[in-house]
Amino acid sequence: MKGTPIEQALAEYTAAAQRPAPGAQPDTRELLRAFHPDHDAHAKVTLQVGPNKGDICHRQVAQLLQADARIDEADLAGSPVTETDVLVIGGGGAGCAAALVAQQQGARVIIATKLRLGDSNTVMAEGGIQASIEKDDTPQMHFDDTIRASRQVVDRELVAEMVSDAPDVIRWLIQQGMQFDLDDYGDLMTRRAGGTSAARVVYYRDYTGLEMMRVLREAIRTSDIEVWDYSPAVELLSSESGYCAGAVISSLKERQHKLVRAKAVILATGGIGRMHLNEFPTSNHFGATGDGLVLAYRLGARLRDLDSFQYHPSGLAYPQHLAGTLITEGVRSAGAYLLNGRGERFVDELQPRDHVAAAIIRECAEGRGISTGSGSGGVWLDTPSVELRNPGLFEARFPKLIQLGKKCGIDPRHQPMLIYPTLHYQNGGVVIDRNGQTNVPGLFCIGEASGGVHGRNRLMGNSLLDIISFGRRAGAHAAGRAHDRGHKKISIEHLSNLRRELTLAGMPLDSKGPLLFPGYANFENDSDYAGLRKNSEREGMQ
Amino acid sequence: MSGNAHEIHLTINGKDISAPPYLSVIQALWHAGYPRVKSVGCLEGVCGSCRVMVRRADSRQVTTELGCQVLVEEGMQVNFLLFPTPTHHRYQLDEIKNSWEVQARFHQFFPEAEKCRHCGGCNTTCPKGIQVEKGVELASKGKFREAGELFGECVLCNLCQTACPESIAPNHVGLFSRRVTAYFHTRPSNLIRRLERLRKGELQVVT
Repeated sequence: MKGTPIEQALAEYTAAAQRPAPGAQPDTRELLRAFHPDHDAHAKVTLQVGPNKGDICHRQVAQLLQADARIDEADLAGSPVTETDVLVIGGGGAGCAAALVAQQQGARVIIATKLRLGDSNTVMAEGGIQASIEKDDTPQMHFDDTIRASRQVVDRELVAEMVSDAPDVIRWLIQQGMQFDLDDYGDLMTRRAGGTSAARVVYYRDYTGLEMMRVLREAIRTSDIEVWDYSPAVELLSSESGYCAGAVISSLKERQHKLVRAKAVILATGGIGRMHLNEFPTSNHFGATGDGLVLAYRLGARLRDLDSFQYHPSGLAYPQHLAGTLITEGVRSAGAYLLNGRGERFVDELQPRDHVAAAIIRECAEGRGISTGSGSGGVWLDTPSVELRNPGLFEARFPKLIQLGKKCGIDPRHQPMLIYPTLHYQNGGVVIDRNGQTNVPGLFCIGEASGGVHGRNRLMGNSLLDIISFGRRAGAHAAGRAHDRGHKKISIEHLSNLRRELTLAGMPLDSKGPLLFPGYANFENDSDYAGLRKNSEREGMQ
Repeated sequence: MSGNAHEIHLTINGKDISAPPYLSVIQALWHAGYPRVKSVGCLEGVCGSCRVMVRRADSRQVTTELGCQVLVEEGMQVNFLLFPTPTHHRYQLDEIKNSWEVQARFHQFFPEAEKCRHCGGCNTTCPKGIQVEKGVELASKGKFREAGELFGECVLCNLCQTACPESIAPNHVGLFSRRVTAYFHTRPSNLIRRLERLRKGELQVVT
C-alpha cells in the first residue's frame, strides 16, 4: 500500500484538542459504489439452486450454500435420539435469551453449541445496546434512524417491533442481573451511535457484551436447561410433512452423531466473519462460520441480502498479529477524529459505518493513508484529542481499549492508533417474521443469522438489541409448540433433493458444508474427529 | 508476513514448534499445522476459553494465562487446559424475596464461600489480576456491591475454581454479587418513565 510511512506519520503527529472539519463530502451512494467491498464485482455470483435461485450472493457464501452435506443416511445408523420440546442451536446472546424464555414458559429446552456456552460474538460486543429512553428521544426516532441507515432495504415491521421492545429489553436484562453504567442519581447513561439523532446507546463500560453474556450464561447454568457444548449441528431433520423436526449434532466430546427430535428448532448460530470474505481480517469469534445459513437453506428457508456485509471502520491495523481486532465505535462517539497520512480529517466520523469504512478505504487506495511497510495500512484514530478534551475518560469508560493498547505497546491516551475496516457483521440472513419464524414450519431463526432487521447497514447498538428482542419472541413462540404431538418420522431426506438439484445444475459435489471452523484450525485433518466424517469418504480413504 | 522475522522455538502440548515472534501460542500451533478447535474462542481475551499453563525459559514458575493473549517466546513450554465441569450451584434470582434476604440465601447457595483458607491460589491463577480472594471475603460479609465491582473484568475462565482447595467457585460468587446488585438496586428513573409511557400506548411507531 502506498502512503505515508508509519514512522514518519507518527513523528509528524501532534495531539490537538480541536481540528478543522473535513472538506466537502461526496454523496454516500457514490462513495459506497466506488469503495465499499460489497460493491466489488468479483465478490458476487448468482445462486444456481435452492429457494434463492437467481439471487445475487457473495461468492464465498454461495460456495457453502451450494455445497454437499457433511453426512449421509449411513452415518446416522445407531445414533442415539434425544427428545425435547425446543432445540436451540447456538449459545450466544440470542440463543440464551430464547432458551431462558422458552424454559420459563414450561418447555423442555436443549441448547446445543459448537464451542462452549457463551462463545459468541455477543461476548465481544463493546459499544452498547440501543433503547430510546431519554426524554428528547422516541421509538419513532429510533425507527427512523434504523431505516435511514439500512439504505431503505429492510423489513419495516421487524424494525418497528424491535425499537418498541427496546426499553423492556433493558428492563429484562437488569432483571437477569445485568449492570449498566449509571449516573449519580442511578439513571442509565446514554451515548450516541454514528448515524443516529439522539443519545440512545446504554452500556457497561466497553464491556457491554461481556457483561450481558456472563449474566445470561450464568442464568442458563443455574437453571434446568440442558446444555450440550462442543456440539455443532451439521444438519437439520425434516418431518414427513415438511416441518423442521430437530437436528443432527456432531458431538466433539463423544465423537459421534446424535439426533435431537424437537417440536421447534431455533437457529441462533451467528455470523460469517471467520469466512474472511474478500480476505479481510475480522473482529468475529472463532466459530462465526455461517453454519445456520447453510442448514436453513437446505431445508428450504428463504434468505435475503446475501451480498451485504458490515466492515467496521475501526479494526486495528497495527501491530500485525492483532489485525482485525475491534476498537469500539464508542471511541468515535466520544469525539475521536479520523486523520489521514497528512494529518487531516477526511470524513464526518459519526456517519453510519458503511460510509466511514468506505471513506477510510478511499484514503488508503488513493495514497493518503499511512503505510506499515508490510503491505497493509490504515488511518489514525485520534484518541489523544479526546483525552485532551476529557482527561480520564479512557480509564473510566474504555478499560478494554487501554488493555488492548498495552498489548500493542501503545498508550491510546497519548498516541493515535492505526485502524482499517474489519469484517464485522452479516447484514442479511434467514427471512423471519415478527416472532422469528422462518418460512419452514417449526424452524425459527434469530440474531445475526437472520436478515431484514438491519437492511444493508447496521447501527451500533442495534445488534445487542436485535438478539434479545427477537430471542425472547422466538423463545415464547417456540415454547407454544410444546403442546403439539411431535413428529412421527424424522429424516434427512431433504438432502436427496439438494443433491439432485446440485447435479442438475452441474455443480461440483466436492466441497462440504457447513464449514464449522476456519481452515487454519485444521479441523478437517484432525484424526481425533475422523469418526465424524462421512462414511463413504472414510471408506474411500482406506 | 515480514520475511526477516526470525523463528522462535517452543513446546506446545509436548510438540516442538517454530513460529514467528508476532504469533500467539494458538496461532503458533495452527502455523505449525496442528489442529486445534477446542479451547479456542473469541481470540480477544474476553471469553475465557483458551486456558493455558505456561513456563518461561528463565523461570521455574508455572503461570496460568489465556492462550490468545500469550505471544511465543524462546524456550517457552505451553500446555492447554481443557475447560472444567461448570458450576454445580443452582439458584434463581427470583427465589430471593427481597434484598434483606440476600446474605442468608447467598450462604445457602454458596455454602463453601465462608470456608476460604486465604491460600491466595485464586489470586495467583487469575489471568485478569482480579483480587479474587478479597471478593469472596466481601461477599461472605454481605458486601455484594463491593465484591461485584472487583469482578468487572472477569471472563469466567474458571481458573480460580480449579485452584480452590475448598471448591469455592469464586468467579460465580463474584457474578452472583454483581447480579443481585443489579436485580435489587438498579432502578433507573429514565427507563421506568419510558416504560410507563409505552404501557399507556403513547409512543406508537408509524411504519
